[in-house]
Amino acid sequence: MQTPDIIYLLPLLFVGVGAILMMVLSTFKSISIKQGTTVSLIFLFLAFFSNIYNLNSFGDVYSVYPFIEIFNTMIVVDTFSGYFSSILILGGILTLLIGLHYFERHKEFTLEFFSLFLFSVFGMMLLVHANELISAFIALEIASLSLYVMIGFEKVIDRRVEASYRYLVLGSLAGVFFLLGAAFIYTGTQTTIIGEIGDLALNTVESNSMLITLGGTMILITFFFKIAAFPFSNWAIDVYDGAPLPVTAYMAATFKAAIFGFVLRLVLVDFDMIRDFWDDIFIVIIILTLAYGSFLAISQKSLKRMLVASSIVHTGYLLIGFVSISMIGESAASSIIFYLVAYFLSSLGAFGLISYISAEDRLKITYDDFRGFSHIRPYMAAMLSVFMLSLAGIPSTIGFIGKFYIFTGAIESGNSILAIVGIMATFISVYYYFKLIAVMYFYKSSELTDVPPLRGVAPIVIGIIALATIWGGIGNTFVAWFPGVDFLIDMAKLSYESLFIAQ
Amino acid sequence: MDFGILSVIIFLPMIVAFALLFLPIGAKGTRNAAFLTAVIILMLTGMVYFNFELSGYMQFREHYTWIESYGINYSLGIDGLSLIILMLIATLIPCAYLWLWHGRTKGYWVSMLLIQTGISGTLFSQDLVLFYFFWEAMLLPVFMIIGMFGTGNRVFSTIKITVYTIMGSLFMLISILYIGVAFNNEFGSWSFALNDVIQITTLSRTEELWLFAGFMLAFAIKIPLFPFHTWLLETYSNSPTGGVFLLSSIMAKLGVYGIVRFVMPIFPELYKEFAPLFVWLGIFGLLYFGVAALMQTNIKKMFAYSSASHLGFIVTGIFSLNVYGMTGAAFLIIAHAMATGGLFLLVGKMEYDLGIKAIPALGGIAKKAPVFTVFFAIMLLCIVGLPGTNGFVSEFLIILGAFGFSPVAGVVSALTVLVAASFMFWLFQRAILQENNNDVSQMKDLNFKEIAGMLPLAVLIIAMGIYPDWFFYKIEPTIQHYLVDILEIRTF
Repeated sequence: MQTPDIIYLLPLLFVGVGAILMMVLSTFKSISIKQGTTVSLIFLFLAFFSNIYNLNSFGDVYSVYPFIEIFNTMIVVDTFSGYFSSILILGGILTLLIGLHYFERHKEFTLEFFSLFLFSVFGMMLLVHANELISAFIALEIASLSLYVMIGFEKVIDRRVEASYRYLVLGSLAGVFFLLGAAFIYTGTQTTIIGEIGDLALNTVESNSMLITLGGTMILITFFFKIAAFPFSNWAIDVYDGAPLPVTAYMAATFKAAIFGFVLRLVLVDFDMIRDFWDDIFIVIIILTLAYGSFLAISQKSLKRMLVASSIVHTGYLLIGFVSISMIGESAASSIIFYLVAYFLSSLGAFGLISYISAEDRLKITYDDFRGFSHIRPYMAAMLSVFMLSLAGIPSTIGFIGKFYIFTGAIESGNSILAIVGIMATFISVYYYFKLIAVMYFYKSSELTDVPPLRGVAPIVIGIIALATIWGGIGNTFVAWFPGVDFLIDMAKLSYESLFIAQ
Repeated sequence: MDFGILSVIIFLPMIVAFALLFLPIGAKGTRNAAFLTAVIILMLTGMVYFNFELSGYMQFREHYTWIESYGINYSLGIDGLSLIILMLIATLIPCAYLWLWHGRTKGYWVSMLLIQTGISGTLFSQDLVLFYFFWEAMLLPVFMIIGMFGTGNRVFSTIKITVYTIMGSLFMLISILYIGVAFNNEFGSWSFALNDVIQITTLSRTEELWLFAGFMLAFAIKIPLFPFHTWLLETYSNSPTGGVFLLSSIMAKLGVYGIVRFVMPIFPELYKEFAPLFVWLGIFGLLYFGVAALMQTNIKKMFAYSSASHLGFIVTGIFSLNVYGMTGAAFLIIAHAMATGGLFLLVGKMEYDLGIKAIPALGGIAKKAPVFTVFFAIMLLCIVGLPGTNGFVSEFLIILGAFGFSPVAGVVSALTVLVAASFMFWLFQRAILQENNNDVSQMKDLNFKEIAGMLPLAVLIIAMGIYPDWFFYKIEPTIQHYLVDILEIRTF
């Protein structure tokens, strides 16, 4: 029986329709933030379940071009996009659930925010479905534009507005590189469809291959900018720090996953040639990214800025996986995907919890504020410790398994030096992550007085994330039927395979 | 034993710890539960001991797949060496609990239980990744217990020991990953199991050297071997009694254990090649830390150095490549753990009662607390190696082993061991016996619980000193196995 094409696109449609509906609803002033969140959540859940349905019902590995007569092959629905969509939608859901507390306490948040939020989820999902450079660009801009506004949504706070503008200007500049790169590639190959570029590039004349390499490089620059890799990471700390915490959490955890999703598709399917050209430069970039991020993270006093700086370090780890791709495609790709999930969980949990704690209008949360935190809020302190341990890659958390895969991949592909550099960065990260645990547990008194107690849905959600973080590190030795580490890795491998069956 | 007794020994304390953490039970209830758990584990360990067959191979194997895609297994087993260390831990911990009985909080007991899980897990692991898992996980409760309940600049010393140990173990992790990759390249499937990775033949000498160094760094920091000892002093003197007890008497030994369990079978050639280096490093450590101990006026710091000094000697024993040295090292692990552990408990009590750690401020304790003094003397004599204690047997054997290795090493170690321990008498005289004007009236003698906790240690020290054969026979086949099968050295 033929599955109607619309089924494939249902997850996307649910989110898109939800976004438009929220925009309409935002004209009604009588609807509260809570109701708005609920409506958005309903659409996200619908999208999530239809996505899970898709993943389950089309076999292990599938790849389809829905509505081929309209979209041609611009949009692809495969296991890869399904897997990433689940991460993205889940990121949306969790961010909303965690942020609710924050949104309710800050008057500037109106219903338009949720419309923008859903649009950004939509854009990210479209990005991982995109099979063509221009539609990818449009998707990227949908997501980015929504984010620009979301960052500056609390317009009464100067820092927010500044961060928003900074991101807007720099982000648009980076976007231009993408367009230029796509144009170069089109000139070189007469196509912008992923999957055709690679083949055509192989059979082209010398002068064209130069163009294609240049175009690919331009696109990679945009990519480096968006994930805040070394030469382009200066914006990150101020923008992320200026954004409201739930938005920071969303950007660090979810947006990064979307970008990596698209670039993975691009690099795995098409960029053989560019990869050869880039591998050495990649190694330098990774080392610098790790060093720069570690240096930034060590010197921060504010917790939020430390987490942001350390997210640059995690970008470095993820890029280590990218270098391994040319040698060991499948396991490197799945190690990247797994690490994304690991980082997604731990950072969303950490940012989410801090945003919950700081909901009462404290713009800066420093290490010192957390002195003796475990004595007044033992559960929150325990959860925060779990996230720190996972970010530091200590065994029994998912972060360890993630690092394990990434470093094994690096050694397997002959880049032991990168594994050692990564280990050094991990070693430094122990300092700034453990410092928080030390501060929380080793002091008797606490100055953080206006911490909200465990109430509402956010702590429960964060608790579940914390359990997932631990579960992901221990795996499914004892409870074989419940998805654990192996499940995530197998899914990542299937996603990888699905990239190649359509060609 | 097919209900997975080793798993029970590992995870029972952890389960109890988490249950206690979430149940509304006070410090006393937690303590009682912790003690009960320790006693149950002692009984389980007794079962293991009596069912242990006399052979040098792994027994009580448990094997489950953990992470299939990378061939990581939950694989447990024990041989003679693990067995005696297990017996040691199981005996020491309840004894120590009796000493820590009063005035500890809930978090303290929970941490102690978790440390026990980490230690047992490290001891039983037969898979490199699983070993690393426990090795690192063990660090967290130690981190907590020093940081939360330590004295002095505890936050700094906690961060210091954590950073130190994690640095070592991260390099070990790289080595482990490299070995796994090498196995995959050679055999086409992933495995980190010890039995599999020893079959790797493709590693070049340079690679092996680096990997060997990665492992040795982790273990040398933990032991600590000269020159990786700089964390030692602060950590020991700022740790709470329970923490320093575990660190000195058990966790330091796991470094030695790790060398024997993993470095020896994976790199047998390098192990033999570098044996002279480590024999001499051990002897040097014995002397160096012995002299350093002599310089200390803080009693805890003094024991910290004396502990490191003997650990150096243990390392000499395991690298001496003969039956005497190795058996002696295994024996010294036990003897030293009991004596040092006991001494740290006694000193902890003294510090608690009197509030002082400096030796010049002490004196005349013998009169005030005679039972205390007797136990103190037994532990001390064991450390010094007086005949009749197990300290003598083990040190004698290691010296024999060193002779077998090279006569010069034997002579030097025989001389050094006396010098290195002589400060003990000096300490005993000044802090305990000598009458002076210092006020030690707050010092109480041991109560019933404390005697009950210390007596088994004292009895074992003497029993093992007089009838060492009773305790040797379980471990002998294992040592033979190490030497003959793994290192391929002819014995006798």
